[in-house]
Amino acid sequence: MTFSNQVPVAGMGCLCACGNTVANAFNGVLNADAHFVLPTGRVTSTYTNKYPVFLVPPREYKDKPADMTFSQFFFIEAAKQAFAQTGISPQQLDSKRVGVIIGASVHPSFHCFPIYRHWKEGKLSTQDIAELKKYLATPLAQWVSNYFHFEGPFQTVVTACASGTDAIGLAKNWIETGLCDAVLCGGTDEITESPYDGFIRLLVSTPQRCRPFCKTRQGINIGEGAAALLLTNQKTAQQLKLPCQGYVLGYGNACDGFHPTAPDPQGIGLQKALSFALKESGVQLQDIAFINAHGTASQANDSAESIAFNTILPHIPVWGSKGATGHTLGAAGAIEAVLSLQALNKRLLPATVGFTTPDEKLKLIPTIQHTAIEKRYAVSDSLAFGGCNAAIVLGASDVA
Amino acid sequence: MLPKLYINGFSCLTGDAQPAELAAFVEVRSLRRAEQISKNALLCAYRALAQAKLDKTDHANMGISMAIGAGALASTLKFMDSIIEDGDELSSPTAFASSVHNSVSLMLSMFLHIKGPCVITGQMDASLAGAFLTAQQFLVRNMCSHVLVVLTEDINPLLIEQIQKDSKVFDPFIYQPQAPAMRLSGALVISAEPTQVTQFVLDKVQLSRIDDVTTHSQPQLPICSCAHGLLLLEKYLKENAVFSMQEQFSGSILHIEGKPYVLL
Repeated sequence: MTFSNQVPVAGMGCLCACGNTVANAFNGVLNADAHFVLPTGRVTSTYTNKYPVFLVPPREYKDKPADMTFSQFFFIEAAKQAFAQTGISPQQLDSKRVGVIIGASVHPSFHCFPIYRHWKEGKLSTQDIAELKKYLATPLAQWVSNYFHFEGPFQTVVTACASGTDAIGLAKNWIETGLCDAVLCGGTDEITESPYDGFIRLLVSTPQRCRPFCKTRQGINIGEGAAALLLTNQKTAQQLKLPCQGYVLGYGNACDGFHPTAPDPQGIGLQKALSFALKESGVQLQDIAFINAHGTASQANDSAESIAFNTILPHIPVWGSKGATGHTLGAAGAIEAVLSLQALNKRLLPATVGFTTPDEKLKLIPTIQHTAIEKRYAVSDSLAFGGCNAAIVLGASDVA
Repeated sequence: MLPKLYINGFSCLTGDAQPAELAAFVEVRSLRRAEQISKNALLCAYRALAQAKLDKTDHANMGISMAIGAGALASTLKFMDSIIEDGDELSSPTAFASSVHNSVSLMLSMFLHIKGPCVITGQMDASLAGAFLTAQQFLVRNMCSHVLVVLTEDINPLLIEQIQKDSKVFDPFIYQPQAPAMRLSGALVISAEPTQVTQFVLDKVQLSRIDDVTTHSQPQLPICSCAHGLLLLEKYLKENAVFSMQEQFSGSILHIEGKPYVLL
């Protein structure tokens, strides 16, 4: 089989602590304006007076139906934006094979902490049973597929923090191999007790706003949100006269096999993922405007990434966006993909929020101010627990 | 038309991997901190890889496509237990790290020296289908030369207890209440081209959606949501016959067609 390696993005949407659309989120990134707060009221933990997180503002989910989880609601909102941008409704894809691939981490786990607590206390209620039934019935991608009445394949990717990037990469492949005419893809995640306490107990969270690639970085801030992209094949795009927000051009993935929570120190798996994505895309290094780094601001992540970038993508500007959005776990790769496409289309590369002081050990200085860009391609990567690495190559809307 | 998949090794495990079984492949002491589902997955993977007769150098170019229906439940519950019983300030970071879906795939990549792509699918009973689709994509995109497709499923004591009290409590998600709760795991080594040891060829692997979730067939398994398809596949492979397998789950249909492979 031969492939064009150029899958158009017809529409995209985003909901996160920085904003309730892709444009607003991008502006939030530019202005370092985000809902960065202590999660009192959302999370029950003794740490809520100390460790802030990047939350979707409550006004954005005041209309959330009671029978939807936050992860479901965030993704549906982002997906509706993506469809609004295309100018078509989901029903207009009825004659097409439409797949759904979503990356997430919290929802696909046993996300039933209050119920579990009730059970341990011998106080399981009929309401709890109803919630458990809902949990059994609603694998995320399948639920979204049902919601929009799509009839193609669906997949919930649970490669932890690389899930969003994997979802987009796999969606590209589903279209190129003819499995689908269109794929609604992206990532979504929400903050609950488990990731909130878990990252704090792993000693990788910081009470301060995170500082990717900075000498003074002290760790991560987790966040929540979703981003959705509607990818189509060229024929569908032409038939339905869909707009183009950009392209997904390459996808690479490789594992480290190194450590449960830390990447390979040399970023070996990441180097392999980046190399594969680049080769697949056919994009030349000199045409890449920037790398959107995973940039969690943990010591290990930023060190491994800097080595991988200096080896595979030397001298290309690096932008870390988690100082603006937080680390949105399974949604991160998708949110960063839509922000990267927006940056390419606006021809404006944002500063790395939080970065102040170069770390001589990293040999990498990320973007320190907003910069006009002319090149039309970008790379976005994600790293995850368990040594999973994923990378995608993106093109601006005018590269075809 | 997506390519056929060739099965070069297959292993299925009902229950838990025992230390003596693992000792045939690995220093058991090195697994002392591993969760049981990881040990189960690892034993199946070792056995499937032994059948596939791959050189160790092939492992670096091998992918992992893993299905895990409801995640690493034992660790997830252990972490929640530690919050409830000890308070969040003393909750277990080790249990949290092990609770992510990737913790199992890490054991595979670390112990088997696999360095290719790795994607995990977690969507209850439809997980195995997702894992097959991903493996197919890895191969057709030349992301690796072989894929280790692994399924491992944990048990959920909360659900088991409720079902034992009332077998219809989660209708339409009915599981066989009288069967003992046990973990299930399996591994297949697949490639896009036949090898000298290819046992089976899968001509078709397809997942489609259905609207009516109440008409799904009843998995004859206790709370092992994504293992049903694997056990059916095991049955067909053991029979060494042509088969067409169509499993209807909660909202989806997995369709697999296959036959024994005869080396010409």
